[in-house]
Amino acid sequence: MLQSFFQWMQGLPFSAWMLEETWASPIIQCAHLVALVAFAGAVLVVDMRLLGRGLIKTPLNQLAREMDRWMIWSFVALFVTGAPQVLSTALKQYYSPFFWWKMQIVIIGLLFNFTIRRRVAFAEEGSLGHWPKVVGFLSIGMWTGVSVYARLIGLLS
Amino acid sequence: MRSLFEWVDALPSSIALRESLNAYPTMLTIHVVSMCLFAGLIAYWDMRLVGLTLRKVPVSNIPTRLFPWALTGYGINLITGGLLLYSQPMRYYGNFYFWAKMALMLIAGINMFWFHYATYKSVQAWDQGREIPMNARLAGVVSLVLWAAVVVTGRMMAYSGLMPQWWNNLNIGA
Ligand code: HEM
Ligand code: HEM
Repeated sequence: MLQSFFQWMQGLPFSAWMLEETWASPIIQCAHLVALVAFAGAVLVVDMRLLGRGLIKTPLNQLAREMDRWMIWSFVALFVTGAPQVLSTALKQYYSPFFWWKMQIVIIGLLFNFTIRRRVAFAEEGSLGHWPKVVGFLSIGMWTGVSVYARLIGLLS
Repeated sequence: MRSLFEWVDALPSSIALRESLNAYPTMLTIHVVSMCLFAGLIAYWDMRLVGLTLRKVPVSNIPTRLFPWALTGYGINLITGGLLLYSQPMRYYGNFYFWAKMALMLIAGINMFWFHYATYKSVQAWDQGREIPMNARLAGVVSLVLWAAVVVTGRMMAYSGLMPQWWNNLNIGA
């Protein structure tokens, strides 16, 4: 099922175009990395604050509300620049364990953000004991994991 | 310059790194992750200067609270980048994007120092207010563009077949 879906993606005219057009893949990859920098900054500003570092003079929920938009839109940019690469190299991705690990953590990371992390960051500060630290630590860990596995797709698959 | 690169290329430690199966993937992966720490934080600092975000945070808060982290990322970035270069100097010597990246980093550094020792001196006057002086905004825009270009040229180093024709005509790698 899944395999035939990936075969179908690989066979799309768009995928053929991506592979044929010399500059298409490099430009998309560069854009993915620029989006990654924007995403990483937005995540880190809040996670460091959750850990009690960084911009501690600014109320956490104010910081989190402001960074929320940046995090969402840079994720959209990551998706928009990631999806074409999945299409054009669908079979390579299908057979790469790192791709599947990356996507699993991306999904867990998103769920974690929209259920727990946001709630903790928007909450009344000081009301949750050590939980903000745990949440900040997990969030940094997950997105770092995503980046490491992502880079390993290209290097080891 | 060329003889320096060739000399490093022949060093036993350079050869050992080059021939190690794990060294390149490890260093490149750490390079990307540390780039996130450095460039991610600097990007929001630049956008604060431009006035795009974090407007309620006093400008001077960011250098004191975020720069130590950004510089840590930068340090790791320099070390892993340096090691990558050290392990394959002759692969990068003829690479247009490598030299472009180094030049862009240099200009970004000059912009940073200029801003810090000139424009930033008056920060007390615009720390909290909304009116950020034109010079500071300009420094922010320049920094954003330059660091993005460093990221792009960094990724493009892998595409040795996509260097500009005029550069290929110089025949530097041969
Ligand atoms: C749903 C969204 C995403 C999709 C579909 C996607 C897809 C991809 C694909 C297909 C690649 C190329 C892998 C290869 O074959 O070499 C890639 C590279 C990469 N991705 Fe993503 N990605 C997404 C989100 C993310 C996120 C959230 C992060 C980090 C937090 C991330 C970090 C990276 C990194 C570091 C690379 C390696 C960049 C390089 O040097 O080429 N991606 N992504
Ligand atoms: C003296 C400092 C630096 C040196 C010597 C250096 C060197 C290198 C080298 C040798 C590579 C591997 C290229 C390849 O084999 O494909 C690389 C990749 C890269 N560098 Fe640097 N670098 C430095 C600083 C930076 C900085 C400050 C940034 C970003 C702000 C950066 C961003 C990148 C990116 C995005 C890549 C591509 C990573 C990928 O393929 O996923 N580098 N660098």
